[in-house]
Amino acid sequence: MRRPSRLLRFVVLAYVTALVGLPLGFVFQRVLARGLGSLWAALGDPQMDAAILLTVKVALIAVPLNVVFGVGASLWIARHPSRATRALDAVIDVPLAVSPIIIGLILELAYAQGGWFGSTIARLGWRVMFSLPGIVLASVFVSLPLVSRQVIPLLREIGDHQEQTAATLGAGPVRIFFTITLRAITWALAYGVSLTMARVIGEYGAVLIVSGNIALVTQTLTLNIGGNFENFNAYQGFVGASLLASASIAVLVVLSVARHRERRRHGHLTA
Amino acid sequence: MGISLHNITKRFGPDLVLDDVSDEVPSGTLTALLGPSGSGKSTLLRVVAGLEASDAGHVVLGGRDVTNVPARERRIGFCFQDYAPFFQMTVFDNVAYGLRVRKTPKAQIRREVDDLLSLVRLESFADRYPRQLSGGQRQRMALARALAIKPEVLLLDEPFAALDAQVSAELRTWVRSLQHELGVTTILVTHNQFEAMEIGDRLVILNQGRVEQTGAPSVVYDHPANDFVYAFLGPTTTWGRVPVRPHDLELCRVDKGTAVTVTEVVRLGFEVRVVVANALGVPTWVQLTHDEAQRLDPRVGDVVGVRVRVAEFAALSRHAQDRPVAGR
Amino acid sequence: MRRSFKGLAVTYLSLVVLIPFAALVTKAFAGGPAAFFGAVTQRESMDALGLTLLCALVGSAVNAVAGLATAWVLVRDRFVGQGLLNAVIDLPFALPTVVAGVTLYTLYGPSSPFHVNVTGTWIGVTVAIMFVTLPFTVRAVQPVLESLTFNAEAAASTLGASSAHVFRTVTLPVLAPALLTGTGLAFARAIGEYGSVVFISNNLPYRSQVASSYIYSLTTSGQTRSAGAVSVALLVIALVVLTACGAVSRRLTHGRR
Repeated sequence: MRRPSRLLRFVVLAYVTALVGLPLGFVFQRVLARGLGSLWAALGDPQMDAAILLTVKVALIAVPLNVVFGVGASLWIARHPSRATRALDAVIDVPLAVSPIIIGLILELAYAQGGWFGSTIARLGWRVMFSLPGIVLASVFVSLPLVSRQVIPLLREIGDHQEQTAATLGAGPVRIFFTITLRAITWALAYGVSLTMARVIGEYGAVLIVSGNIALVTQTLTLNIGGNFENFNAYQGFVGASLLASASIAVLVVLSVARHRERRRHGHLTA
Repeated sequence: MGISLHNITKRFGPDLVLDDVSDEVPSGTLTALLGPSGSGKSTLLRVVAGLEASDAGHVVLGGRDVTNVPARERRIGFCFQDYAPFFQMTVFDNVAYGLRVRKTPKAQIRREVDDLLSLVRLESFADRYPRQLSGGQRQRMALARALAIKPEVLLLDEPFAALDAQVSAELRTWVRSLQHELGVTTILVTHNQFEAMEIGDRLVILNQGRVEQTGAPSVVYDHPANDFVYAFLGPTTTWGRVPVRPHDLELCRVDKGTAVTVTEVVRLGFEVRVVVANALGVPTWVQLTHDEAQRLDPRVGDVVGVRVRVAEFAALSRHAQDRPVAGR
Repeated sequence: MRRSFKGLAVTYLSLVVLIPFAALVTKAFAGGPAAFFGAVTQRESMDALGLTLLCALVGSAVNAVAGLATAWVLVRDRFVGQGLLNAVIDLPFALPTVVAGVTLYTLYGPSSPFHVNVTGTWIGVTVAIMFVTLPFTVRAVQPVLESLTFNAEAAASTLGASSAHVFRTVTLPVLAPALLTGTGLAFARAIGEYGSVVFISNNLPYRSQVASSYIYSLTTSGQTRSAGAVSVALLVIALVVLTACGAVSRRLTHGRR
């Protein structure tokens, strides 16, 4: 079969570079243009530092929550097909198609002062909106399907013969999970966890509504970047953006390695 | 360690997959569970293994009723049709898996796994990964893995189905001698009647979830309980509206038998099939050995005679009159 | 243990997804159907929805073609840097939308180094959408292309068909279902996009405001009922498009067999 023409290759490379590569490179160019001294000073900005801390906290809670849920739900859905698990699968996929702003809105409708659970929450002395739990909730919502979308197809494809064999050899469910299942889905899981991490630290619209964007208290790094831009602190904004862009690149590396490992395992990609 | 199956019944939704199946598997034998696709044989094997629960009935292993005992505690070895290798582990770790579960000391594991790998002739593959192995090698690894825990019963689900003819033939003979040597009670599921008859001490023939007949291969072949068993176990053709084995017919001089015309000659190397048609055009085929065919040299268009080999005809008429009862 | 996990999972899902959604639908219709339709058909709402749909449509369509071409080059070609290209495609998945938003604004806005200013125009919004949706179509088509053997195409060639003809009649029909699904997902994502478009769109009501920004302004000004109504409208559009794409996609797959 003839290879695609050189022209097509050039056009595609040009398109992707212009559309995707350029903005990425631009972020770093702007940040480094003023020299390392300014960069260092900007990294010490208290508002941004508070935002970084908050983002890390949210990630440390939301990502493990969704990974545990994701793996458990995937096992259930893949190994026990039924109407119930099909419904579960569909519900989990919902957040993919919903605008982050709408997600923020509906969380507010459910958990804010005037919302469905508002009074119950207040009576218990908790806060959801404008505080950490709300931000975690929003982060969990937007990244809900990212692990299962990778793991479920793989579990289905592998089948459960290995797990059944391990059972006949005397292994209990926990041992089977850790020695067989987890090892079989390692790279798909890595892929899903990376995407989850990226989504959680990168969420903007939903967190904007849920957190109230209170500087130093409930402002995540993404909100911080947006705020700096709106206040014409473009450079500070770009410094924050470069931190997140670096994290994204790290995520891309993991995704790439995971994809490569999966391909080696079976000869085509799962994306 | 004998196996007793009592009235095993299993439904998948509306389908009755196993219908009141009972059998006694004598200790130390290799029983072939034979039947066409959908006959329930794999399901039965999984019920014996404890990987599937029956709706009714009992499974007894060596005098112990294990019906409600999980697979993990039944002390059985199971091999899937796809061998189910643990792809993420080396061949050594695959075979050692069951021993590690039992917390066997490291040195002992090393010894036993090495012995097993020698037994299955995979010693030099210990550090390889399953994806680097051929189908036949994976099969041997799966066997070694199952045998590592010294099971009292060995269950093999269509172990040779995915292999090419030559590898399959070699492996069959090898499994047969291994089983003889170790004396492990073995049940082997297959849809291939030749395979079953070649290595089985006894056959259990299943059709649509019911046992049609059990017995030694020669007994079942020569004294089939019903038409299904007759047709399933060997080649059949019709002669005067009666089903017969093509090898029970022979070619002769036109005046010594019924006159027919040769319409096709198929040479399969070791056997030659001669398709003939009588005056009404009804086809029959006759099976000749390689040597017979060389001697007789049938050609398309020849007019020859066909008759039943005398000794077998006596057996045939006995058939028609009193059929043996299907073994239970 | 399995039963307690089931219970936990259902609770988790309810708190996170089901209950909030119920709250949305209830709120949206709190004033009755008349109020619902009133909110959706407000001029500002219609303008926002119109702009959003236009840009999402154009952006997804362009990326359907671009995604196909990119997947083709990734699968069928061999060149230095191919691995890098493959990795970079995922960037819009991994990069925070706000980073894309502010960067695109700086690149193609008032202080653009290329002296290109598309802020406040549908073009600017569409470019942002193209950025965000590229991976959807590429990753949808790529696996299908990879598992495709050349046999059917080779057969067609031996029968005398030209490359273009082979592509149109043999390859494309096989890829069409996946491409359609990918484009549907891209479209659904595009109509809800916020962080990457809000800066470059300038957010002027009636002129250059996308649906998500409109909903945001309604929410922050306390008009949650109208915000709910427009949200439901947007979700319905996404649902219709996704269902349609899925149905056509399945039809095409079965028709082939």
